[in-house]
Amino acid sequence: MGPAANAFRQEVRDWLAKHWTPEKQAAHRRKPFKERGWDVEFSKLMGRDGWIGVGWPKEFGGQGRSATEQIAFITEMANSGAPSQAHGTAESIVAQALFAHGTKAQQDEWLSAIRRGERTFALGYSEPEAGSDLAALRTRATRDGDDWIVNGQKLWSTGGDKAEYMWLAVRTDPDAKKHAGISVLMVDLRSPGITIRPSLALYGKTFSAQFYDNVRVPAKNMVGAVNNGWKVITDALAAERVMIGGTRMARIESAFDRLTEYLKTAEAGGKALRNDPVIRDRIGALAADIEVARQFQMRNSRLVEQGKVPIHEGAMAKVFASELQERLGQAALDILGTGGLLSEEADSAPVGEMEQVLRHAIMGMIGGGTNEIQRNVIAQRGLDLPR
Amino acid sequence: MSSSRPHTSEGVSDTERSLLRESVRGLLAARWQPERAVEQSASTQAIAALWRDMAEQGLASLGSDAGEAGLREIVLVFEELGRASCPAPLLGAVAANLVFAAQQSNAARAMLEDLHQGNAMVALALGAFDGDPSAGRVVMRRDTLSGKVSFVEGAQAATHVLIFTNTGVAVFASDAPGLTMQATPGLAVPPFSEITFENTPAMQLSVESEILADVALAARLACAGRALGAAERAFELAVDHAKIRKQFGQLIGQFQAVQHKLANCLISLDGARLTLEAAAEARDNGNPDWRIFAASALAFAGPALRAVSIETHRALGAIGYAEEHEAPRHFRRVHADLVRFGGAPRARAELADALLGPVQ
Ligand SMILES: Cc1cc2nc3c(=O)[nH]c(=O)nc-3n(C[C@H](O)[C@H](O)[C@H](O)COP(=O)(O)OP(=O)(O)OC[C@H]3O[C@@H](n4cnc5c(N)ncnc54)[C@H](O)[C@@H]3O)c2cc1C
Repeated sequence: MGPAANAFRQEVRDWLAKHWTPEKQAAHRRKPFKERGWDVEFSKLMGRDGWIGVGWPKEFGGQGRSATEQIAFITEMANSGAPSQAHGTAESIVAQALFAHGTKAQQDEWLSAIRRGERTFALGYSEPEAGSDLAALRTRATRDGDDWIVNGQKLWSTGGDKAEYMWLAVRTDPDAKKHAGISVLMVDLRSPGITIRPSLALYGKTFSAQFYDNVRVPAKNMVGAVNNGWKVITDALAAERVMIGGTRMARIESAFDRLTEYLKTAEAGGKALRNDPVIRDRIGALAADIEVARQFQMRNSRLVEQGKVPIHEGAMAKVFASELQERLGQAALDILGTGGLLSEEADSAPVGEMEQVLRHAIMGMIGGGTNEIQRNVIAQRGLDLPR
Repeated sequence: MSSSRPHTSEGVSDTERSLLRESVRGLLAARWQPERAVEQSASTQAIAALWRDMAEQGLASLGSDAGEAGLREIVLVFEELGRASCPAPLLGAVAANLVFAAQQSNAARAMLEDLHQGNAMVALALGAFDGDPSAGRVVMRRDTLSGKVSFVEGAQAATHVLIFTNTGVAVFASDAPGLTMQATPGLAVPPFSEITFENTPAMQLSVESEILADVALAARLACAGRALGAAERAFELAVDHAKIRKQFGQLIGQFQAVQHKLANCLISLDGARLTLEAAAEARDNGNPDWRIFAASALAFAGPALRAVSIETHRALGAIGYAEEHEAPRHFRRVHADLVRFGGAPRARAELADALLGPVQ
């Protein structure tokens, strides 16, 4: 990390020190776990001071920061524990798609609202019959005057019970080949005809099913041309992977730091845990893996900075980091024993949120394209193996 | 301490590095062809002749001038040696160059001159810095040395032996009195040797142990680079094979079980490459944390590249299991280089030392 990035990092820290105060942190921790991380008021504060759209091009009102600086920013945010989920999806995925595929009017209206933290989004891709095979989606949109009428069902939308808008993938031409008949709509979730049913996922937060029953969406809310949605979605997914990768790495590194800090002084049966050869070996292996994951992430940033889209490189980073998170979570349970099963909500938990690290790892291996799908990508795009 | 000495590699650009890679690959393609590599590796004359050609390209001086070539370039050349299964005596040369660049010595000058001209070939024993508890010990008494060192590579063709002691280094001619050598056959091909000294007269030089430790670490990274080159070459053969071999009416590369294993291999190879290069670069930039990066690279590369080597063989099936195929020599190289010098367990212990403090 060069001096420019370090100065920027300090700027972020200073801002957080001033605005992510101990009082706010304490209030945040008093909320149930599933409510943490999503805070519209804090998002608006960040928006007011220019901290949403750090990586956006300046022409769209962003700071135009390099990929390396963006990662520094994400890391500082994650380490501080400040909530950024309310604006995260809009800032990364929706904005990326709008840069490339939005009309001038959409860019003017939506990007500035997103940048102020005033328009929150969730992703509506998956359906009962369309998981890994996303292009099999069936939620239907038919044109009626100036509106699209949407009917169908979506599943597992993270933040779907909290967001104001859904970034919705719909089928607009049922007769075209499956990738060719898809479009993207920005849907106001307060519209009549929408039912949202949240459920709690194993990592401790909610995702939601939504039912769309003759929901009217203004035609001007379509992003990209009719039936060109697959391109819009895949371009945005690449951005999603880099963003999620940054957040995941920051979480892994901070969990590992907490574990090693704890081990420096912990004892079991009168013996210092840090002297245990098995523990030392496992900590050494994890430290090396974290360095590898960091290098994968840095390669992604370098590629993005060179104007390239990391496809199989992004897949490699995602597979490696999510599976590393699993190894870290499992190691923590072995090292901490039964105490590792306690969450930070138990006062006697040796290191908070270690079991959550493990639960959360599974999300990383499934969401954003499963690791099996990623390995297909690495084999077919990275190694050019035959389909 | 040598750690703070800046090793700037400002002079070496990415373009120059790829030119270096091309020229070494070209030389080895001409002089160390895959069809003859195993046979040539058994011939001390063939190794000596190649070494003179390498010296002519300046490769025997690698490490003597940090401005010309840093650890990144050293690792790169080792990768090429690994790809070509070439046992050129570069490890001893690099160690000698690094030590004597840090510590000038008139006595060593003649040996270095011979080395850089391709007339001397140096075998290396890291002694107390080896990391393998069975690698032996030597004791210096006045001007002579006694003891035994094991697992020395390239000793049969060597003209000199360079040994790290607790107080510095000692250099011998390989025909010095009281020095005996014995090849110890095993997975490593060409085999390691055991060298015994009995009151063998030696030229000694005192060198700070921090410098020796850093040179030893650089040597470990170089060997990991050689293993990476070998693993990557064998992997390429496996991927190519998967694109032409048909079974059950389809290319085996279409089977998802094969695809996913090869995808895992690519993750391991790229992970090893990125961390190795980052460690070498950190050292060349004078970043004192390079030792942590180096330990990370070694801790990862050990198990990861050995697994790549196994998966390579599984994808190739029986055709790759015959010793006349290229794959077995890469398998041997990968394992020998990654188990040597304490291997991954030592690197993990070093990381634990850095993170948790040493065992008390
Ligand atoms: C916590 C969480 C949050 C999520 N958030 C969102 C969200 O915000 N918005 C949204 O739209 N979706 C979201 N998802 C859904 C996610 O995108 C899907 O779960 C994912 O794409 C996989 O689909 P699936 O669950 O239907 O599994 P399936 O596709 O049914 O896969 C099941 C198993 O079969 C394997 N498999 C499937 N196809 C292949 C193949 N071709 N080759 C090899 N193996 C294969 C998979 O790898 C997996 O192991 C979320 C999921 C989770 C777990």
